[in-house]
This record gives sequence, C-alpha cells and structure tokens, in this order.
Amino acid sequence: MTMVSRVPVPPPGLVRRKTRNRLVWVGCGAALALVVVPVVSILVGVAGRALAHFHFSVLTTYPVGNAGGLLNSIEGTGVVVVGVMILSGAVGVAGGVYLAEYTRTGRGGFLRGASEVLSGVPSIVLGLVGYLALVIDLHWGYSVYAGIIVLAILVLPYVTKTTEVALRNVPTAYREGGEALGMRSGYALRKLVLRPALPGIATGLIIALAISVGETAPLLYTAGYSSRGPTFGLHDSPIGYLTYNVWTDYNQPSNLAHQRADAAALLLIALVLLLIVVARVVVMTTQRHSPDRPQRMGKRPT
Amino acid sequence: MFTRSSATPIPVTVPSWRRTRRSGVVVLSALAASAVVLAACSSSPAKSAATTTSTTSAAASLSSLENWPTTSVSLQETGSSLLYPLFNLWTAQVQKEWPSVAITTASTGSGTGISAAAAGTVNIGASDAYLSPAQVQQYPGLENIPLAISGQEVAYNVPGVIGHLKLDGPTMASIYQAQISKWNDPKIAALNPGVTLPDIPIVTVHRSDSSGDTFLFSSFLTASDPSGWTIPPGTTVAWPNVAGAVAAQGNGGMVQACQKSTGCIAYIGVSYLNQVTAAGLGYASLKNKSGNFELPSQASIAAAAAQFATSTPASGSVSMIFGSAADGYPIVNYEYGIIPTKQPSALAAQAVKAVLAWAIDSNGGNAPTYLDQVNFVSLPSQVVSISTKLISQVHS
Amino acid sequence: MLAAQDEETAAHPARFSVVTDPSPSAPPSAAPGPTAAAGGKGRSAVGGGDGGDGPDRPSSPRRAGAWWRAERLMPRGLHAVAFVPLVALGLIVAVLAWKALPAIRYNGLGFFTHTRWSQGNLYAPLVTTHGVRHPPEASYGAVPLVVGTLVSSAIAVVLALPVAVGTALIVVEKLPPRLSAAVGFCMEVLAGVPSVIYGLWGFFTLGPFLSRLANAVWANHLPDVPVLRFFKGPTYGGQGLFTVGVVLAIMILPIIAATTRDLLRQVPRANVEGAVALGMTESEALGTVTLPWVRSGVIGATMLGLGRALGETIAVAMVSGSLVGAEPRSLYSSFGTIAATIVNQLDSALDDVSGLATATLAELALVLLVITLVANVGARLLVRQVATTVLPVGRGI
Repeated sequence: MTMVSRVPVPPPGLVRRKTRNRLVWVGCGAALALVVVPVVSILVGVAGRALAHFHFSVLTTYPVGNAGGLLNSIEGTGVVVVGVMILSGAVGVAGGVYLAEYTRTGRGGFLRGASEVLSGVPSIVLGLVGYLALVIDLHWGYSVYAGIIVLAILVLPYVTKTTEVALRNVPTAYREGGEALGMRSGYALRKLVLRPALPGIATGLIIALAISVGETAPLLYTAGYSSRGPTFGLHDSPIGYLTYNVWTDYNQPSNLAHQRADAAALLLIALVLLLIVVARVVVMTTQRHSPDRPQRMGKRPT
Repeated sequence: MFTRSSATPIPVTVPSWRRTRRSGVVVLSALAASAVVLAACSSSPAKSAATTTSTTSAAASLSSLENWPTTSVSLQETGSSLLYPLFNLWTAQVQKEWPSVAITTASTGSGTGISAAAAGTVNIGASDAYLSPAQVQQYPGLENIPLAISGQEVAYNVPGVIGHLKLDGPTMASIYQAQISKWNDPKIAALNPGVTLPDIPIVTVHRSDSSGDTFLFSSFLTASDPSGWTIPPGTTVAWPNVAGAVAAQGNGGMVQACQKSTGCIAYIGVSYLNQVTAAGLGYASLKNKSGNFELPSQASIAAAAAQFATSTPASGSVSMIFGSAADGYPIVNYEYGIIPTKQPSALAAQAVKAVLAWAIDSNGGNAPTYLDQVNFVSLPSQVVSISTKLISQVHS
Repeated sequence: MLAAQDEETAAHPARFSVVTDPSPSAPPSAAPGPTAAAGGKGRSAVGGGDGGDGPDRPSSPRRAGAWWRAERLMPRGLHAVAFVPLVALGLIVAVLAWKALPAIRYNGLGFFTHTRWSQGNLYAPLVTTHGVRHPPEASYGAVPLVVGTLVSSAIAVVLALPVAVGTALIVVEKLPPRLSAAVGFCMEVLAGVPSVIYGLWGFFTLGPFLSRLANAVWANHLPDVPVLRFFKGPTYGGQGLFTVGVVLAIMILPIIAATTRDLLRQVPRANVEGAVALGMTESEALGTVTLPWVRSGVIGATMLGLGRALGETIAVAMVSGSLVGAEPRSLYSSFGTIAATIVNQLDSALDDVSGLATATLAELALVLLVITLVANVGARLLVRQVATTVLPVGRGI
C-alpha cells in the first residue's frame, strides 16, 4: 500500500513502517520455506535411500532373517487396514448419522464430546490398554483382531466427525422434501440424505485408512509381528505390518535389513501420497457441480 | 500375564516313567500328571518313537531328538539380539534341509525372549541371561537351555587410537557413573601407557531395551568392582545420570549409536564384531581376574568357558563372568534358548526338539561353519549332555 | 398419537398419501424412542424418527409392521452405537486404573517427586511392601519423564506457532491459487507422513544436520552465562531435545497452519480494507485487525497441536536417545518422554515377574492421559472446529 497524497515530504516513520512491512512478509516467506523444505527433504530422502537398492522382489518375498522382502508386511497391512475400515466404518458412520440427524449442534453433549476426547488419547495409551486387556487378560495372545480393534477405536472419532459434517452439509430441504412426500425417515435418510454425503463419508474412510497405514505404537503390542502371511486364528495370530519393518530394521546392523526398512518407508510414503491424491479427487469430482464447493487455499472469494 | 492378578504358571505334566532321573532339574515341579495329557502326548507316534529310546538312559541321544516332522509347522522365535545373527544362520539351513519347518525369528532383546516364552507367544525364546530365581519360581514350565558360548566386547569411537585400548572393570564402572568423563583421564591413561588419548568427552551408550548384554556387562562390573559398582545386575539396569549418555535399541542400535557419537563407549555382543570394525570402531582388551588383558576371540572365550564345563548345573544356569582362567576373556556366557516345556502342539514340540538338538550338535548348528561367522564357541560335551536332557523334556 | 395407526402402516416409497399428522415434529408422547432418548433435543434434522412420517397404505400388513418396527429401532440402534466412544473411553480409564493400582499403592506420591527409574534387583527374591510384591530396591520416579515431555512439547509449540501462522498468512494473502494449492499439498503430506518416517528422517538426516548447524552457529560461541548454558555445549550426534523439538514442530505444523488459514479466510474483508484505507501498511492491518480476530482459534489449534506433541510416541522414541531417569541438561542431551518410555520399556517391564514394572507403566500412561486430555479439552473450548485438510490433522499420536 503506498501513500497516494502528492505531498513531497513523506510522513515521519513511513520508511520504517514500510521496511517493517517488508520484513514481515519476508519472514512469512521464510516460514513458508521452512514448511516446504522438510517436505521435500523427507520425500526425496526416503525415496532416494530406497530407490538406490530397490528390487521388485522385495514386494513378493517373505523375509528370512535379515534378508528377504516385505510380502508379509504388505499382506498384514492390507488385512489390518481392511478390518479397521470395516469396523470403524460401521461404528463411525452409525455414530455420525446419529449425531447429525438426531442431535443439535452444540448440544449432542457428552456423546460428541466423548468422541472428541477419544481423538486426543495418545496411540501408545490405546496400545497399552489393548495389550493389557486383550492380549493378556483375555488371553488372545498377539492377535490380528486385537490390533484391528485398537486401531478402529483410534480412528473412530475421525470417521464419526467427517460423517457428521458431511451429513450436516446436506441441505435440510432434502429432508423436508422427503418428509413432505411421506417417506419414512429411515428411508429418506438412506435414499435422499446419505447419497450426497457419501463423498464426505468416503473422505472420512480414507482418513481412517491413512491413519491405520501409518500407525505403529498401537500395533506393536497387540498384533505382535510375524514374518509369515496373515493367519486368522482367534488366538495367537500375529501379523506383520510395514511400520514395524521401519521401526525395527533400521536398528539392525545388516545392510539388507536397512534396505528393507528403506523399502518399507518408500511403500508407506507412496501409499500416503496415493491416499492424498485419491481423497482430493473424490472431493473435487463430487463437488465439482455443487454450489457449496469448498474454497481452495488462496485468495479470498470476492 | 505378568501382573500378579493374572499370573498363571505354565502347567507342566511329566510322564511317570521320566521322573526317576529328574531330581536335579529345576523345571520339574511336583504336579500331578494328567492322564489325559499323558495319553495325548504319548499317542503321537513320532513322539513315542523319540522317547522310547531314552527311557533307560538319562541322556537321550541327540540324533533321536533330531526327529524332523514331515508335516509343515511354523515356529516363532524371538529374543536376544546377540544370538540373532547365529539363529538366522541356523534358520536358513533348517529351512533348506527340512522345508517343512518354518521359523520366524526376531531380534527384540533377551528380556522379551524370556517374557514371550513365559507368556507362550513364542515357541523359542533367546536370551543371554539365564532365568532369575523369581522367574523360575513364577514359571516352573520354563527352562533355559545352553545353545552356544558367546561373549561381549567393549567398543569405542576414539579417533586417533591405533590398536586396542586396555580397559578394566573399575575404570568402566567409573565411566558409567560419570566419575571419569574424558578419554584422556589419568586412570585410562594409566592403563594405556604410550597411547595419546584425545581430550574429548566420553559418550556412554547403553541399551534402552531389556537386554542380556546389559546383564552381562553389569554382571562384569559387579564382579570386577564390587565396591565401586553397587547397582545390581539385570537385564534392565538403572544407569546413573551421565551427561551425554545415549540409549540404543538392540546390538545393532548400539553399533549405530557408537558410530554416530565421537567419543562413545558401548558394550556390544561378540557376534557383531565384524560390524564394529566395519563401522570404524575399536574394541578394547579387558582385564580378567588374573590381571591379564585379553581381546575377545574364540580362543580366549573358549579358554574362559572351559573352566565351567564341569561345573555347569543341570538347569544350565551359571554365570561365566570374570572367570579364573589365566588367558580367558572376562565376559563370556552361554546363549540360552528359553523354552516352555509345554508346547502348544505335538508337532510344535517335535519341531522344537529337532531344531534345538540340531543346534547343539557339533555336526549341526554347533559346527565351525556357523560359529566362526559370529565368533562363538561350541558347547563342551558335558554341557551338550545337559542341554540334551533339557531338550528332551519338551513335550506337548 | 400416530403410534396406533402406524402399527398397521408403512410408507411404500412410491405411494404418497395425505399426512394426517399436521405437525411435522411429532410430539414426544407419540414415540418413546429417539426424541426422548435424545434428551428432548427438539426438532431433529430428519423430522423425528418416531413415525411422524406419514401413514401410507402398506403392501402387506405384516411386512409393514416389520419395516416400521425396524424404522423405530433404527434411531435407538444408532444411539446405542454412538455410545461406543464413551464406552471405549471409560474402558481405557478403567483398565489403566485397575492395572496401575499396585504401582499407585507402592510408588505413592514419590512417583511425582523422585527422579530415579529402577526396576530393582530382578535376580533377588521378591519382597513385599505396603501389600505389594516387588523386587528389592525398586523405585520409580516420573519427574524426568514429565519434564522431558513438557519441555519437548513446549519447544515444538514455540517453533511451530510462528512458522505456521506466517505460512498461513502468506498463503492467504499473497500466493496465487496454484501455489496455494501446492502449499496445501505440502501440508497434507506433512500431516499424513507416518511418525516412523519422521523418526527415520530425524535419525538419519535432521539430527546430524541440526547438530552440525548448532555447532557451527551458536553452540560453541555462546558466553558462559548460566541462562545460556542450556544452549551451549557439545552437540553429540543429534539425538536429543533439539532434534525432538524440531521434529515435533514439523509434525504439528499442519494443524495450526490449516486452522489459521481457514480462520483467516473468515475475517471480514471490510475491516481489513478499512484499516488499509486509513493508511496502515498491510502488516499493520494484519496485526491490528486480522490477528486479534483469529487469536482464540489459533490458540485453540496450538493447544491441539500441543496435545499431539505430548502424546507423540514413535518419532520421539527414535530421535530422543530414549533415556530414562535423566532430565535433559542441555538442549542437545538425550532424554525420555512418557510416551517413548512406555513403548521402550514395556518389554523390559515384562521381566519383572511381580508385575510392578508393568503396573508402573500403566500409571505412567494414566499420567499421560490426564496431561493430553487437559490440553485437548482446553483446545476444544477455544476452537469449535479444527480445520481438516483432506488428510488427518490433529491426531494425538
């Protein structure tokens, strides 16, 4: 902003203020750089280290000691993720539907509050409780089901929240129209209200997917680890997962183990990037024609 | 499982025809043999074939125990990072020769090896530390079976030092209690005349996980400096607060941490000696009880262990730290397999016995082809028979 | 009112009939289900799930009854399922409290005053004190861990807040849409990267870099004044408080930045334009008008980020040096946090056959739970909804 008056002598302090203004924006630019540099460093670092020794056999072989591949962890991650999405999807969507349809914002009271409080519980606390309660006291041993339950509780608040937000974004007119037409409320819910909310719910499930792919602490003491494929026994069915390989193998003094850790890290990063893209695509294509398009980052809409 | 409220000892049932020669073995507690379990255990033909030959003699012959199952079975092993490289070599060979037996190995620390075996989540636990009396009492179904003899070196990252530094127990006790904080301290210089030591701070590295190596090192400090080191030895030790100290996970983590920190001192298992030298670290010669400084080598480890060959009890639990052999290395130990005597299935029991019997066989796992790669020493014959007896008690 | 009729009816989707009930919100007496269960929360969004939705002629009475019963049960079922987080929370606290009892009894208040963490002599026979069996000389003090947790999180917040706010400012005010989208993508990547990867990167790349940076710039050139001694000294290998603080700051950046960005976009443009029209520079207008407007939201988001930093486990365990029983003496020394200690020490705790070590870890988890809950609840009171980028932000790992 510049002074528009034609007075030849600028007011006192203007230069200082303008310099300060410039400094502030330079500072913000430096902040931006501090945000971008780590991202680039992480992505390039992980990819660089992994791609230097990458063979496709790492995706198709089971580990043998320090050598071998990641097939057990890939299968295990897949199983865990599917289980978590099913469990947390069912419970979370139902909870979100209840909070959106049968309560008022701001009042939903302790149910919504409980969900938010649950989202703040550290994952190691959940893992410890899962270990003490499920693995030890219920004698499940290291079990894929214990891991799925603990992770599902971890991601539940996110699914609930996104479902509720998505449902609340559906205009009330839809529901009123359904009621006017004489539909049962449940039917109206299914046919009229849930459909437009599906992209939001899908985004919530993608969030659940992303979190469960990247978690370590809850699984360490509930799912144990196995270098074989997944077994589904009720007891003693440990399972491998990608984050375990990163957590453990980087400490082994063998280069092969390091390479496996790097490959696992690469797979995790690739999965996360894929999920970001998928979520963006979901949001953009389904809201392309909606009047409530989310604002993109950037200049304010006029 | 480990809390008082839910502690359940692993039940052990012993067939009556075995009780005659079992007096010295700690594992056997007086439990009534369940007839049903008896029938179940002895009904599998493979097992009865393996056990009938040993009814008369106390030492079942190794070869009879090496009765490999033909149905595929999957075993889980976890525990000591010191035994892990050797166990991987064994697993690879077992996988090749007897593909029906698949073993999952993990390096998680001796403490985890013991607790996982006690909880029954693994078939074989590996540990450098024998079971404590409290653990023996709590888990009467658990036994520690010597599988090989190993040792531990003290590695350091001191630039400019050529050759091997000489260190002893009291000096290291002082280092780990912050009484000596620089490498050119007079006490270290006194042990190493003529060596120029740099004026850099000592970075002590210890294990963050529950570790048999910690047990060995702290036992050595207690044995060699009983007045200066009063912290009781164990797989977990309350290390004194030393400036700049670092904790690392696993022997591999110790190597990495020492490599990253100039001036570090770390205790690392002897199976990582190659990695230690490859990482540019040095390792010390330690003063033994006779006053001689010995480097960790298969010869010095064997010399130290020879003294205990005849005095190892039938349970296998003995500390070989700071022995009296003149040319023996002071930190030497048995590598133990912590085995629940009651395995979840007959097949698992058969496989476990076969694997362990092959491992202690000097033509099998205890052959130089495997042990030389990790600087271990094979079991003397008296200990082999002790281990054989312990292995033969595994049942389902 | 409609209950009697609706026993016989169910709305067939294709048939419409006159709604005999004039009021769309059925009075509470009509159906006991969801309206009452919702605590009389009044008109719900779907016009009450209690049967106030028009009596149609059903195709067959039996099917109609079944559908209608399912219809009435659905809100109840949903209500029950909505209780799951509450039940889970209750179970978590109950299990931890139950398991921690022996430790609470044995450690007493000394847990919050002692500094030593010792499992005792595991190779000696167990003894009993205060009715709790334990190895002799066992003594647990959580002070260094609590201090380490709070200090590392504080450093993270101090580092993250200005960077996040600065980034949000420049993104909203200055950047063209394409670049803003790119920065948004960066934010989502930062939010989505698993914490093991942060630990790996911190251990191999960031730690040594920060150590060299500190060495070169300030660690060796500071005067030996008591206050500054914390920043002096050997920087070791990069595993310590400084690296942990920076890693945690990077992890909580997305929460604060995304919330700030959304809040900035809601500031009324007229106010800012008015300030600029009065002759303020842009930054002065921001400082006088915009920032106070978003202040409470930003603080709320920061507290959420603080909650996450307090509970962060894996990245801290990989980068902090995992010491127990030692408070950080300088900015570069290894230390321990509560979460990292739990994950590192659980295996060791299992060696203590008396169970005291495991119980103490459960007690430690309770302490962590309380600390993070305070931070999170405080944050929620300040900001109603934290912005979500497409990928999760704000998880308390």
